[in-house]
Amino acid sequence: MWLVRPARPDDLDQILDIAGEQGARLSSTLPKQREAMARKIEHSCRSFEGQATEDAPARFLFVLEEIDSGNIMGTAGIDARAGNGQPFYNYRRDALIHASHELGVSRRVEVLYPSHGLTDQSLLCGLTIKPELQGTDAFELLSRSRILFMAEHRGWFHARTVVEIQGVQDDDGHVPFWDSLGRHFFNMDFQTADQYSGILSKTFIAELMPPNPIYVTLLSPAAQAALGQPHTLTVPNLELLQREGFQAGCYLDIFDAGPVLEARTDSLRTLVTSHRKDLHGSHDESGETCLISAGEGREFRCTLTTVTESLEETLKVPVQTWQRLNRSAGDTVRIAPL
Amino acid sequence: MLLIRPLQDKDLDDLYTMALNAGKGLTTLPADRELLARKIDHARETFSQRCAPEAGLYLFALEDTESGRAVGISGIQARVGLDEVFYNYRLSLTVNASRELDVHVRTPTLHLSNDMTDTSEICSLLLSDDYKGGGNGLLLSRCRFMYLDEFRKHFSEKVFAEMRGVSDEAGRSPLWDALGCKFFDMPFSEADTLSGLGNKSFIAELMPKYPIYLPMLPDSARSVIGRVHQNTAPALKMLQAEGFNFNGLVDIFDGGPVVEAFIHNIRTVRESINRYVLVTHKSMDLDVPPAERVMVSNRAFRDFRVTTLPASCIGPDTVSLPEDVARALQVESGDSVRLAPLKEGSVRPTHGGGANGMSDLSGRGRPHRSHSSWD
Repeated sequence: MWLVRPARPDDLDQILDIAGEQGARLSSTLPKQREAMARKIEHSCRSFEGQATEDAPARFLFVLEEIDSGNIMGTAGIDARAGNGQPFYNYRRDALIHASHELGVSRRVEVLYPSHGLTDQSLLCGLTIKPELQGTDAFELLSRSRILFMAEHRGWFHARTVVEIQGVQDDDGHVPFWDSLGRHFFNMDFQTADQYSGILSKTFIAELMPPNPIYVTLLSPAAQAALGQPHTLTVPNLELLQREGFQAGCYLDIFDAGPVLEARTDSLRTLVTSHRKDLHGSHDESGETCLISAGEGREFRCTLTTVTESLEETLKVPVQTWQRLNRSAGDTVRIAPL
Repeated sequence: MLLIRPLQDKDLDDLYTMALNAGKGLTTLPADRELLARKIDHARETFSQRCAPEAGLYLFALEDTESGRAVGISGIQARVGLDEVFYNYRLSLTVNASRELDVHVRTPTLHLSNDMTDTSEICSLLLSDDYKGGGNGLLLSRCRFMYLDEFRKHFSEKVFAEMRGVSDEAGRSPLWDALGCKFFDMPFSEADTLSGLGNKSFIAELMPKYPIYLPMLPDSARSVIGRVHQNTAPALKMLQAEGFNFNGLVDIFDGGPVVEAFIHNIRTVRESINRYVLVTHKSMDLDVPPAERVMVSNRAFRDFRVTTLPASCIGPDTVSLPEDVARALQVESGDSVRLAPLKEGSVRPTHGGGANGMSDLSGRGRPHRSHSSWD
């Protein structure tokens, strides 16, 4: 059985293992360096305790735990404010019409504008999972538990939520968009830049990117083809997020040109369809499988459960579920359909 | 005798033939009779001061006085960018540096600029193939510096020239193919022709306005930025010898360089002197090599005329002009004329000590300058 809970300092080794398994990413993901990761977990703990500050806004890191073994099988994060107090960089894909009345010519020119427009919106990030769990209920639990957390702590989050989806990267690790643009300004390949981004910050790297708009037509054909396209491995995640109500808009990741999905926080499906109910026991383990969460801040837990009976105010679930949530009869929980 | 004089209506046929023979690459003089006729009109209005000084277009013809035909043309535009927008790319540098990342990357960048607006441009130089060599090209080009110097208040302090950029035999420009073409879907030769017909600023308005980072362009395009067409290399060399330098601006179509100089620094200007005319009836051998000749001009705004004569004609205060030369220049004994060397590194007219003096001129050696603000 699976449980999503806040990451703890003693999860460090296992989280590092998982972070190491993911390829180069450069964007809104986990650092691969031990110290950076330890700091991240520490900051997450403070965030769950409500001790985030203006300078260092809340960044939550959750883990997916296999309860029987205690193994960490995945991670997921929310940055309460994208950019974490610094500018959050994206390209905004836009168009200009270059027209001449005299020559009777009109031409649509696609331009990538550096943008900080998404700064301070809430950001879902750091989703990693063991490959064998891709696309399973556990995967859905891990991803959507974040929305239940947001529903429970709505005041901590922005009216809009965004997610960066990893962009195109070929089998050799080449990122066409990076090779056509970023590489020129760093003199380093994507993997190397990725290393730095774990130690420093995405903003730090982004600030070295050209401050001016980029004409799409001057990018290599491969880079142009990659604009707004997800990495094939991220497609299950992308589809899950789309079901959640996220949509690709005009924003792209500045390093790999992957799409940035956007949604109104209050319109997220999990948030809309979830309900608070009082917890009651059931000895019957049949019924519909649902997401269930409980607890505030560091006490937050989220798991899957069968639901025997769901009435207006009360919810009957197996007692094992209570234990996983650290709750008992009469406590308030939040439930959402899977 | 070969004589520089203002372009006239009667030159239209000769001009058209020259433009036809020049073919591609001379955008300012397309083989279009109507357009050429308008240019001649414009020049006539300019010399007769019937148009605003800043709108002036000074076009000079090189006339073979024996046939009366125009065999070359050169020009000065008083100011560019007045009624249309004058575009260039400025070749500049973007530096990306981070100690933490051990990054220090320099990225050459093209910025669209209108920096030459309000500056005088030398332009439209064209010489018939039959007359190439023998210093005729030098006369045709350098006569303009004598005019610029003589009538400085009509021009900007600085003067520039746009040099033709690299294109191949088929008329393809590597920079255009990599950049302009992506924004204005047309072969370079056509765009070039259009711009000769006065549409350059319209095309420019379709071009990218944001900086272009050169590493995003192919090598073929990057390597021609700031370089001249091989046929233009001699002209560039000549201008460099006059003190013109690349000013960091390039043509937005073909990447050809813009070279510029302050008028007071132009070699022809610095080395020019004034003398009183002494019309002589003695016959003299006018046919000496270019290195031994000097340019001589009258000082008339409306009917500016320049020809060449042996440096040996220059005396301490006077210059001896054969009758026909004096007539061609429309001067008489006692009139003041201006003299400057035709070729760099050759004889320089000096104020004293004989004809072939190689000694440097100094400011005090020019007592007859009509204006004093510059020397």
